Amino acid sequence: MNAANPSVSGTGIGLRQPHYREVFERLPPLGFLEVHSENFFLEGGASMHALERARAAYPISLHGVGLSLGSADTLAGEHLARLKRLVDRVEPALVSEHLCWGGVGGVHFNDLLPLPYTGEALALLADRIDHVQATLKRRILVENLSAYVECRHSEMTETAFLAELARRTGCGLLLDVNNLYVNAINFGFDPVARLAELDAASIGQMHLAGHTVAGDCLIDTHGSLVCDPVWSLYEEACRRFGAKPTLIEWDTDLPALDVLLSQAAQADAIARREVAHV
Amino acid sequence: MSELLAFETDFAAALRERGRTPQMQRWLAGSGELVESRMAIYRANMVAAADKALASAYPVIRQVVGEDFFHGLAREYQRGTPSVSGDLTGFGATFDAFLAAFEHTASMPYLPDLARLEWAVHRAYGAADAPDWDAATLAAVQAEQQAAIRFEWAPGTALVSSTYPIVRIWTIHQPGYDGEFSVAWDLADTALVSRDGFVVTVTDCSPADAAFVGASLAGATLADAAAAALAADPHFDLGALLGHALSARLICGFTL
Repeated sequence: MNAANPSVSGTGIGLRQPHYREVFERLPPLGFLEVHSENFFLEGGASMHALERARAAYPISLHGVGLSLGSADTLAGEHLARLKRLVDRVEPALVSEHLCWGGVGGVHFNDLLPLPYTGEALALLADRIDHVQATLKRRILVENLSAYVECRHSEMTETAFLAELARRTGCGLLLDVNNLYVNAINFGFDPVARLAELDAASIGQMHLAGHTVAGDCLIDTHGSLVCDPVWSLYEEACRRFGAKPTLIEWDTDLPALDVLLSQAAQADAIARREVAHV
Repeated sequence: MSELLAFETDFAAALRERGRTPQMQRWLAGSGELVESRMAIYRANMVAAADKALASAYPVIRQVVGEDFFHGLAREYQRGTPSVSGDLTGFGATFDAFLAAFEHTASMPYLPDLARLEWAVHRAYGAADAPDWDAATLAAVQAEQQAAIRFEWAPGTALVSSTYPIVRIWTIHQPGYDGEFSVAWDLADTALVSRDGFVVTVTDCSPADAAFVGASLAGATLADAAAAALAADPHFDLGALLGHALSARLICGFTL
């Protein structure tokens, strides 16, 4: 199994349809481009052509939002087969999924729903990740989630759960710094203490994004600038884990490309500064 | 049932039926009020995902009925036909039947056919790229064999027939359309959906051309498809239709 892919580093942005033309004309200096895997489960056409153009100029990160690793009843074999076809076609630098479930009993919610962090869930997720990595013939990264509810019957923290998954399966982790911050506020814990539960070698990518405030709850909307506390937590993560490929995630109310590039430059500067200090 | 399956099953039921949210207090930390408000976030996400997916497949219907009404349609459609896949590309395949049966859209009887047209456009967008093919190979077919030719149509090619002017309605709602907006409601359109390169095109097709393309798409020979077209209109012009189909790369091969 491949270890962290050495060919990708630096900061990337999501490649979204309104930016296709400008990205291909300007070819801004970026470490990689990210797309949602499911948006490219197509046979052909304009989207696939755009992804092939992107692939010719940048390393690609395929970020899955629908595989639902944690569905208790079954893992969707057809979905995994489509992901495999896409991975074989694109040969991405990074492939990631979420620590979540999305559907059960034949119904899918097309959302990233939280799991209880129990021994039972850990055994299931480890089996699923083993199966996915064997099918794709590569290491995948698994991402921590933004959540709005917490299970009473969890037996460990999400980060401890992820660390154990990485140990059992050899999968890498995708540390979403915004998600960790959102949960720290929503559930009242110290996010820096959670970083201490993770092993630097396991982390293959980091995510930065904006969220919205809805009363007593932060909601992970990926539609605004990265906020100051998340930048601070990212600095802390860079000091602990070193520079990792980092994505500026922005999926709703997409701004001008230059806004994303400016956020990416800010992340790059932090990674360089913090790693130099270590 | 395993504990995890019981948890997910209860969670799923609470998402689909708000009245079942109290059963989540067994699983989730916090007061009943907190659980209620947080589950509402997931319920809103669920509807938003359906709305976004349907809006992507049905942009014209969304413009015709308005964003708010469309959001309501998405919620109702999802209630009866929830997503069954983590890939939403196929979500909305039966929206036409839903619109035909839904009482609050009965005053817009053209919507189901418009939905069929938009679904065909949606499918064509992501269809396989047509293989490279040299139309000159068609000229090499012996005259006595020509009647037996079966054309291969570019992936995504589809016909959508309606008793309403669906091509006109579709056309005037396209981004960048700057013509006038009148609709002759007594006209019936048959839409020919196809992809030329990466661009999906929708054109109004005469009854004879539609009969030919429909038969040929279904696997008929050139002779049988032409007979169907001539039955629809004795003035059917096979040469003109084939000329267009070949130059627009609708036809991308044939078998004998």
